[in-house]
Amino acid sequence: MPLIQDEYWCQDRKKREMDKVLEIGHFSAGFCGRLFARNGAEVVRVKQEDPPAWASTQAMDVFLHSDKKMVHCKDKEQIKRLASKADYLVLEATSADFALEWGIDDWDVPIKSTITPFGMTGPKRNWRATPNVLLAMGGYTNCTGDPERAPLSLPGHYVEFQAGQFAYIAMNAARHGKQHVDIDISMLECVMALSQFTTVQWSCADHVRSRHGNDFWWVVPTNMFRCADGWVFMNITPNFWDACVAFLQRPELIIDARFESNSLRMSNRNALHEIIDEAVRSVSKTELRSRATECRIPLGVVMTFEEVLQDPHLLERDFWQTPLDHDDLLIPDLPFRFDGEKRNAPRVSSIVDVEEVWRG
Amino acid sequence: MARGPLSDIKILDLSHVWAGPLCTRILSDLGAHVVKIERSFARGLREPAGDPIGGWIGKDPTGQPWNRNAAFVKLARNSRSVCLDLKNEKGREIFLQLVAHADIVIENFSAQTMPGLGLGYEELLKANPNLIYLTMPGFGQSGPYKDWVAFGPIIEPMSGLTGAMGYSSEEPRNSGVALVDPTSATSAAAALVTAIRRTKQNGGTGTQIEMSLHEAGVSFQGPWLLDHQLGEVPPALNNRHSNMAPHGIYACEGPDQWVAVACETQVDWEVLSSISQQLDHSWSLEDRVERANLIDSAITVWTRSRSKNIAAQELQALGIAAGPVNTVPDMFEDPQVKERQFFVPFERDFTPMPGNPIKMNGIDPADWTRCPDLGEHNAQVLEQWLGYSQSQVEELIEKGVLADCPPE
Repeated sequence: MPLIQDEYWCQDRKKREMDKVLEIGHFSAGFCGRLFARNGAEVVRVKQEDPPAWASTQAMDVFLHSDKKMVHCKDKEQIKRLASKADYLVLEATSADFALEWGIDDWDVPIKSTITPFGMTGPKRNWRATPNVLLAMGGYTNCTGDPERAPLSLPGHYVEFQAGQFAYIAMNAARHGKQHVDIDISMLECVMALSQFTTVQWSCADHVRSRHGNDFWWVVPTNMFRCADGWVFMNITPNFWDACVAFLQRPELIIDARFESNSLRMSNRNALHEIIDEAVRSVSKTELRSRATECRIPLGVVMTFEEVLQDPHLLERDFWQTPLDHDDLLIPDLPFRFDGEKRNAPRVSSIVDVEEVWRG
Repeated sequence: MARGPLSDIKILDLSHVWAGPLCTRILSDLGAHVVKIERSFARGLREPAGDPIGGWIGKDPTGQPWNRNAAFVKLARNSRSVCLDLKNEKGREIFLQLVAHADIVIENFSAQTMPGLGLGYEELLKANPNLIYLTMPGFGQSGPYKDWVAFGPIIEPMSGLTGAMGYSSEEPRNSGVALVDPTSATSAAAALVTAIRRTKQNGGTGTQIEMSLHEAGVSFQGPWLLDHQLGEVPPALNNRHSNMAPHGIYACEGPDQWVAVACETQVDWEVLSSISQQLDHSWSLEDRVERANLIDSAITVWTRSRSKNIAAQELQALGIAAGPVNTVPDMFEDPQVKERQFFVPFERDFTPMPGNPIKMNGIDPADWTRCPDLGEHNAQVLEQWLGYSQSQVEELIEKGVLADCPPE
């Protein structure tokens, strides 16, 4: 389809303070709509029956759908009319054929994004998929977990959120380019696009990446270690080795021939891991983190959700938001701010009559 | 260069390693003009300290390892490279001249690096009042952790995710893929397109965007953080799912061969239960969660007698969500991936590179250009953007302000 730069965006009737977004779908469309809503657009979500989520319905609704208007509507003609008043349409469907059933080709929306598990074309376009299926097919699962055990899939909605984020990026870019576009987002391709060095390791080094537990095999020591009251993860790239020796309070390691280079540390990883294990096992997380700060090494503490919610850094940065109508809850804000400005507190969505939306 | 809706956007990219370069790759795939401002010491992934994790493009460093590290190359398509010494007064001056012509500057140094170079936001704004400046330090520019050393893998455990995955509560696991980096990359790209809209369409002035990797990682755990406050049970571990059962990774025929399976609905279960006489089609979700071990054993008996692809195909034919646990060679051979031409062999030695998950009219991988050599576009960019002459550029190279290879 040729690129069309049209006059739509320049017409006075379409010039308004808020962009209008029509959202149909589940967690991916929901995440895309969340980005629009939290950045000032007017988002109308056509409520659908969602697939099973990794969290409660209330949590998913508060997280994804605050600041949106929700409509209950199964009449596609009515939804099509609603779409004709929108600047953007994001449609998520469980397969290409289900997406096609909506018949959005003749909907009058300048920017349409369709999100499906495998994209709108190809022999698997109608395969069913959940996040664990897409993570498996996209190469993430094979790299996570222990070598002699089943691979671990990533829990949560990473795949859907990333696909929603790509849709948001594409739709805003198209809007900037004043284009009429149909965007096809494949969740599987989102996973594959966000692979680390995994693909080139095969193409350029003939190595099939596999699982190494918590050990990041190629940079040693990069691993999780048990401490007195939990776990810590350290990521010691070669330039941090000297500092790491100070952190471990084992100065003699600096001249230990087994550990002089990353290659040698890789060869002697078990011995080194034992030394680190011994050095940190009886020390508290707080003490290890304090030492890491002093020695300037990259180290993170494995935190519970409660610890994340109480994290003094996030609290001091005023990261959390409290919904206007739920002042007992903390919601993470978007991870970016413009000129340090905190966004307005979100409002949990309410159901509105479809006839009342974008009237006139 | 790639075409696309962002083709009027110029980005100066000082970022390194993964999150920042991935962000600019996403935008360059949409047509943005990305100029990497690099230093001759080639920090980050450009020149690895030893054998590179991802190998060499063409499987050979060709005497120029700084131009051949595949992990770097993978992230740098469609960009141009200017190798400029920002610690040199003239280099700093040239950088500010470039800033005056740019729409966006992006960096992911630690919080104090740019101010330390005399290139803090206020300085950049003097050069270009309409500049969009995105800084992505690991923990942001304020707060008690702002000076902590950060990489994605140490932030992941601090997001709550690591404690929510693993084989059991006593065996937490990090993802194998440094998840916070790609999360931050897409979040940064989302921030930038939002800023472009705000400044370009609405006639706004310059803006500073702060994007903390830590907050990107935490943000994605939002539903669980809410559930924790609502008193809900934590997510299931070991590939299981609180609201789907069965849900797991099952062993197939052959060593280290696996298939992912998820049973989303009661109707799915009624079909899936037909694969084993041990399974009762009437079991509810609660029944299935309770009998998860038995069900997993029965499914494994079935999957072990099949290859992962056959198992996935047979389950899909039954209408069940299933897919093979793919290695990279598996992904390259997947008919779906091949038909949509996701991997694109445009780089040197026809190395296949992951494509753009955004398919839309007006953008085409056929337009992509390979990763630039270090400093390859010193002259081109300085001439086109700033009107420098060839002799001026040569003089700058002579003085070490510009370079096209690391120092001896």
